[in-house]
Parts: sequence; C-alpha cells; structure tokens
Amino acid sequence: MAEKAILFDSTKCTACRGCMVACKQWWGLEGEKTQNFGSYENPPDLTYNTWIKMKFTEIESKRTGGVDWLFTRRSCMHCTDAACVKVCPSGALYHAPLGNVAYNNDLCTGCGYCAEFCPFNVPKLQGGAATVIRKMNKCIMCIDRISNNQEPSCVKTCPTDALVFGARQNLVNTGKERVQELKSTYPNAYLYGEKELGGLHVMYVLTQLPQVHALPTNPEVPVTAIAWKDVLKPAGYALAGLAVIGLGLNYLAARANANAKAESKSKH
Amino acid sequence: MEQRVQKYTKVARIFHWVHTAAFILLVITGIFLYVNAGLVAQDSWSRLVHRIAAVIFVLAPLMQLIANTRTATASLKTALTWGKDDLDWVMAMPRYYFLVDEESMPPQDEMNTGQKLWYFILLVFSPIFVITGILMWFFKDILPSGVFQWSIFFHDVAFIVVFLMFLVHVYLGVIHPLMRQHGGSFSAMVDGTVTEDYAKSHHGKWYQRIAKK
Repeated sequence: MAEKAILFDSTKCTACRGCMVACKQWWGLEGEKTQNFGSYENPPDLTYNTWIKMKFTEIESKRTGGVDWLFTRRSCMHCTDAACVKVCPSGALYHAPLGNVAYNNDLCTGCGYCAEFCPFNVPKLQGGAATVIRKMNKCIMCIDRISNNQEPSCVKTCPTDALVFGARQNLVNTGKERVQELKSTYPNAYLYGEKELGGLHVMYVLTQLPQVHALPTNPEVPVTAIAWKDVLKPAGYALAGLAVIGLGLNYLAARANANAKAESKSKH
Repeated sequence: MEQRVQKYTKVARIFHWVHTAAFILLVITGIFLYVNAGLVAQDSWSRLVHRIAAVIFVLAPLMQLIANTRTATASLKTALTWGKDDLDWVMAMPRYYFLVDEESMPPQDEMNTGQKLWYFILLVFSPIFVITGILMWFFKDILPSGVFQWSIFFHDVAFIVVFLMFLVHVYLGVIHPLMRQHGGSFSAMVDGTVTEDYAKSHHGKWYQRIAKK
C-alpha cells in the first residue's frame, strides 16, 4: 500500500486550533485544566490526553520590521526510523501499513522508553515519577479513519487547508513546490520531514530554520538506542547461550569423569 | 552418624535467601524489558513488583551488615584480598571442574577464589544497579533523557554480568558433581552445615583452622 502522510503548511495556519478540538472530539480525550502562562498557546505541552497542539513562536521579522508569529504543529511525526518503535520492549508500538506509527494499548507495560528516546518528545504517559502503573498515549494518525479512506480528524477539520492528507510521494512534491514559491519571501523556507529520520509521515512547510520553529535540526535515533538494542541485547543473548552451553558441557564432562573414577574405585 | 560442621549462621542464611528471592523477582519482572514477552507484563504489574523487590534487594545486605557486622566485614575483607592462592586456584580450575581431579586443587579457605569472585562482582555491580535504578525511578523528569538512556544501558550491562554469574553460582552450588559429593554444598545454605568430609575436601585450609579450635 502506498504510504500516506500529512503535510502541514505553516504559512496557511491561522492557529484556530480546530485540529486540537477535532482530535479531542474524535478520540474522546479529556480537556486540560491549565493556567495562563502569558501566551495564547495552550496547553503548555502534549499530554496523555492531548495528542496535538499548536506551538506559538514570536520572532523579530526581518521582512516587515515587526513581529512574525509562527504557528507550528506539535504532534507525532510518524518517523520511518522511529526510535519509539525500536526501543519498545513489548512490541506495543509498530508501523502500520500506511506508514504511521500506532500502538497496541494492551501490550503497553508503561515503561516509558518511547518517551525517553523520541527525538521529538512526543509520547506521553500518565502521571509523574511516582506513578508506577501507567500507559502511553500519542497520535496514531487516526488509524481507524485512514484505513477506511478517510482523512485524520485534524486534517478533516482544518478550514484553511494548512493540513492536507494524501499519498506521501504526492505530498513531498506539493511541499517542494510550495517551498519554491516561498523562497523569494522566506529564504530559509524548508520542507521538514522529506528526509529526516528516513522520511517523516508528517511533513512541515517551514518559513524559518527548523530550530526557530522549535524543531530539532537533523533529528536522529539516539545512539543509545542503537547501543542498547543492536549491540548490548544481542551480546547478552550470545553470552547467555555460551554460558548455558559451557555449563552443560562442563556437566557432561564432569559427570563422565566422576563416574569413571567411582567405577575404578569400586573395582579395586 | 557423620560429623557435621557449621559453615553459615542462621542470620547469614536468612539474608541469603531473602536476597535470592528479591533477585529472582527482579529478574522475572525486569526480563520483560529485555525479552519481548507480549501481554505478560501489561498493566504495569511488573513495574510495581520490580520496585518492591529492588528495595528488599538493597536493604537485605545493608541489614546483614548491621546485624552481623563482624562476619560481614570479614567476608568483605576476604573478597577484596587477592593473592597467589587465587592464581593457584585459577591454574587448577580446569582440571578440577572438568576432570574432577580433586588432588589438583590446593586446599581452599572458607571462600574459594570462585566464591570470592562472585562476591566481588556483586560488590561492583550492585551499586551500578542501584544508582541507575534510582536515576530511572526518581529523576527521569528532572535529568536530560540521555541520562535515562544510558541508565538503561548500564542497568542491562550489570544484569547480563550478574545474571551469568548467578547461573554459574547455582550450577556450582547444586548441580556440579563435585559439589554434590560428601553430602554436598547445598546443605550449607539450608541448615548451615556441611559434612566434615566435605569441609576437608573443599575447604581444607578453613577446616584445618576451625578443627584446631
């Protein structure tokens, strides 16, 4: 099946936050009680019950001399090289056929490795340090809707088409064209997600450098994930196998020799 | 009736088995983060048990140190003192354990080199378990995620080393043919005694010392 993706065009976003409401509504997620922290941005971050939020950034505008107000989507990026999928010990997190990263809630043991390894800090668990019994939650790109040929709820509700959904390859082309159009006004315009982490399934048309939008430049699967999963784990299995074989051989040899000794003793 | 000699006190045995039980619980509840066990660990019960067992695993040796300071510090000292006797043990080890050639092994003290090594490895790796465990349990929200990531790594390094040594320890304690003769070594951790024959053949140096008293 052709991989699908969401394209977010930050220049078309008016920060109406309809996407946030549509997500809560479709998934029946509870609202957050928050406190004003001096911004229209709300809530402060993604949570167990908030899978998408719009980030507001104010920067000095070289273009107008005033202020540019940047609106950046913050939600799961559905990476091809997904660190969360790599480290998830129970296999709860997985790549769905359309390329999105979904999870099996029953399999989640609440270890939180996904949250600690995600380069975008997206997966969220209930509670803080003391909460032992918990589950992870995050955007799964409305897997129920997209596997039935519907758009994700955030895309469906977006009034300005800042969010569009479609075949990933088509959206890469659309995004590149849009970046070309923007280059004259915004020299740093960039299609984020075309190549990052093997290709993201949520791509952004940005007017500024990624870090200005509070996005990591060249995000990577942490080296610790590779050291743990690809080096230490196989080494552990190998050593355990060798130990069991070694002890087994020792037992066979020792038993044979012990029996031989006992026999020669009884003969005398 | 064969003569038996006391090798471990009741206090030492109780702490040994409490520590063992905690360790086995820790292995069972921790292995789900290493081996994909599917639905077994759902709903985080393993996270809860792992923490309870971890507290016991840390407290048991500390309490033993307080309850039995003299014996515990003596064992600590032994485990940290290495010398020519240990080299002799290493040289004799293959003949002894594979060929069951008892004459090849020089007389051993109360703890032989293998036992000292096991003790030493626990002394080194238990703090690694505890420090990385505390970092992951209490400080993950405060510290950068890299600290958590490396904590997982070193927690697992400690697990691999200690678990392999644990297998060897169990094997030598109850399975190896040499350790089952003369009444065997296992009784030392059950009623605290071994037969005189066992003490002579496996811990000759120690037996000579206590026989004089």
